[in-house]
Amino acid sequence: MDKQKGLNKEMTRRGFLKLFGGLGLVGATATLSGCSKEPMGGEGWMPQQYQVAASNYPTQVRGRIPIDPMSPSIMRDDEKCILCGQCLEVCQNVQTVFGYYELPVVNDTICVNCGQCTLWCPTAAITEKDDTQRVLDAIEDPEKIVIVQTAPATRVGLGEEFGLPAGTWVEGQQVAALKQLGFDKVFDTNFTADLTIMEEGTELINRITGKSDAPLPQFTSCSPGWVKFCEYYYPDLLPNMSSAKSPQQMFGAVLKTYYAKKMNIDPEKIFSVSIMPCTAKKFECQRPEFNSAGKYWNKEEIRDVDAVLTVRELARMIKAKGIDLPNLPEEKYDPVLGEGSGAGLIFGNTGGVMEAAVRTAYFVLTEQDVPDLLFDLKPIRGLDGIKEAALDVPGVGTIKVAVVHGLSNARPILEAVRRGESPYHFIEFMCCPGGCIAGGGQPRTALPPSDEVRAARIATMYGKDASYNREHRLSHENSEVLTLYNDFLEHPISHLAHELLHTTYTDRGNKLKAKKLS
Amino acid sequence: MSKGVLVDLTKCVGCGSCTVACKLWNKREFDKDSPAVGLNPQLDDQNWTTVSFNEVQKDGQPVWRFVKQQCLHCEHPACASACFAKAFQKTPEGPVIYYPHLCVGCRYCMLACPFDIPKFEWDKSFPLVTKCQMCSTKVAEGQAPACVSVCPTDVMTFGERDELLALAKKTIDSDNRYVKHIYGENEAGGTNWIYISDIPFEELGFRTDVTTRPIPEYSHDFLKYTPAVAISWGALLTGLYAYTKRRNKIAKEENKDVPM
Ligand code: SF4
Ligand code: SF4
Ligand code: SF4
Ligand code: SF4
Repeated sequence: MDKQKGLNKEMTRRGFLKLFGGLGLVGATATLSGCSKEPMGGEGWMPQQYQVAASNYPTQVRGRIPIDPMSPSIMRDDEKCILCGQCLEVCQNVQTVFGYYELPVVNDTICVNCGQCTLWCPTAAITEKDDTQRVLDAIEDPEKIVIVQTAPATRVGLGEEFGLPAGTWVEGQQVAALKQLGFDKVFDTNFTADLTIMEEGTELINRITGKSDAPLPQFTSCSPGWVKFCEYYYPDLLPNMSSAKSPQQMFGAVLKTYYAKKMNIDPEKIFSVSIMPCTAKKFECQRPEFNSAGKYWNKEEIRDVDAVLTVRELARMIKAKGIDLPNLPEEKYDPVLGEGSGAGLIFGNTGGVMEAAVRTAYFVLTEQDVPDLLFDLKPIRGLDGIKEAALDVPGVGTIKVAVVHGLSNARPILEAVRRGESPYHFIEFMCCPGGCIAGGGQPRTALPPSDEVRAARIATMYGKDASYNREHRLSHENSEVLTLYNDFLEHPISHLAHELLHTTYTDRGNKLKAKKLS
Repeated sequence: MSKGVLVDLTKCVGCGSCTVACKLWNKREFDKDSPAVGLNPQLDDQNWTTVSFNEVQKDGQPVWRFVKQQCLHCEHPACASACFAKAFQKTPEGPVIYYPHLCVGCRYCMLACPFDIPKFEWDKSFPLVTKCQMCSTKVAEGQAPACVSVCPTDVMTFGERDELLALAKKTIDSDNRYVKHIYGENEAGGTNWIYISDIPFEELGFRTDVTTRPIPEYSHDFLKYTPAVAISWGALLTGLYAYTKRRNKIAKEENKDVPM
């Protein structure tokens, strides 16, 4: 049958003419070009590691990662790929995702959507899935109110796309650029970072004081790459995960409920965009359960966050419009959801969530002023893969915390928790090395990403936090957050807060067969 | 002894490295409308190898399997027997290779191949037939084909065909997940690329109705399958045959011809 089809195809007029025109000349051209006595093929090129003279020796750095064509986070242009193996290197050795499951695969392309591969790929064959057009279309649509939030780490990354030194602070310029791009309101994810501390901190206190029977240690839940990693490889530890949503998702939920109500806007008209240093956020926003506003309004199709752009995508949009970012006059975030504390800001660094949480938890547990030490919690700052600290909290005792970034560093800690040998009460996990400041959606300032760039971005964040006055460095003193509780949510982990700001997790353990770690 | 490749389909994760390696090494072009990997990849003149995505059932659960396809480099290649111009030749090391300078463009090879491998460059004004060459120049130097050398999960093993057959047997006998069939051991009289799998081959798009008799034995029947071509093109082809033969003769005199 197949053959018959082939035959029919051959007898088309086009095929006939082509063949007829071509055939007689095949020999002639071959002779003229004088090159075809060789068998076909083999005139190309391969990277050095495959050029082994006597051959069958396996090379270490080879191949590439598999990418799900439906991935909401990353995509690859095969034409640019040179099989250098760097994507696999970071996925396997830095993130311990590839190669940590048995073959054959079950029915998933195992990926935590972190986008570190986009930072390592030397040819930029792997990039974020481009959502700029969807956002531009929404901006053009007169029916839509397009509201944007910017993650903490974006303001120390964006400038690098415009030639500024690593870690240059461009918060005000970013706000100005977003306004010029036509966003109706520009808000700050730092606001919901503070809100996260209120919710997650309260949850921690409930676990420590026994008010909740959820297990210790509590794991942070704001890094969606880390969350998916835990769902794949340590689903048995999901009860340890804080139920608090990430700041991005809290923001979307608050935006389309509280803000919509307060401003008397139809939530269906709001198109909610976030600028993130992260590609996993693109995955996170489309998790089926993240339509709290939809449930609140009884309109299931309302998503809390409609589109996520990486810092690189935002930079492309700004460049395409010819906006000269470094020379823009600084502008301020819009009110109601625009205030963020220094504690919310440092969420972008490894150790930042912990430091922010500790400041507020200390205050709530002791009702005393936060000691100076907690405004510069050195043991959990910096780029060491695993950091820990013990804090004496009057009336409570010693609280032990750990901070982990880069998923390879997470495994030993998680194994210890599994064995019941972890001494910690609270562990901050961040998927990307360095935290969000070096997330998979940040500018490709060094290839592969270097600790120098990471350190520069981190230093700017801590420097900014230190430059604020004391109240402005505490999540529980964010006046807009307090207004949100007063006017709408009542108190942390209230019934409504639970509906809008908390979530449950998906056991993905059946999507793979995890390799036993030796 | 003749070289071959053992493909263990249980290890493939669908990264498509092999398809890119093939393009890099053989200077094939990329065409977004004709993907080499995914749901419906196209084996064509630019894609000498493809990796298809298949969702199948195993123990009542959906599972994914990826299948690399390319020329199987038959031990008794039907394409070579069908080609009166000797543009297809089986080398002693295993690869069945195609010499464009000998090709008259009749495309009998395409009709003869039981696996539907050779493809025609429909879009070229001077079209040729194309297919995987098993990186014959690499193999001649004792190196593995390009696709084999890049695979990050060791799906493919390059070596002596008889040793690979023994390895395949050992693997499927010692692990009850595998189906007890080595594809290519006997298909079309035996191929140099052989496959093992934990899913029955027919569910993965393999032709399992291929004869186990070496096809050249009755390739005449195959040619009879194509009367339309044979009749209308006969005269032209005969002319071309004579022409190519003369070129061969000249080439021989120059002592530059390919081994026959
Ligand atoms: S996004 Fe992260 S997990 Fe996914 S392939 Fe890239 S490095 Fe691996
Ligand atoms: S890092 Fe980029 S170029 Fe290198 S193998 Fe991966 S996708 Fe290809
Ligand atoms: S390189 Fe290997 S794992 Fe990747 S698609 Fe090819 S055969 Fe499969
Ligand atoms: S698979 Fe087809 S093209 Fe390849 S050697 Fe066999 S008959 Fe020839």
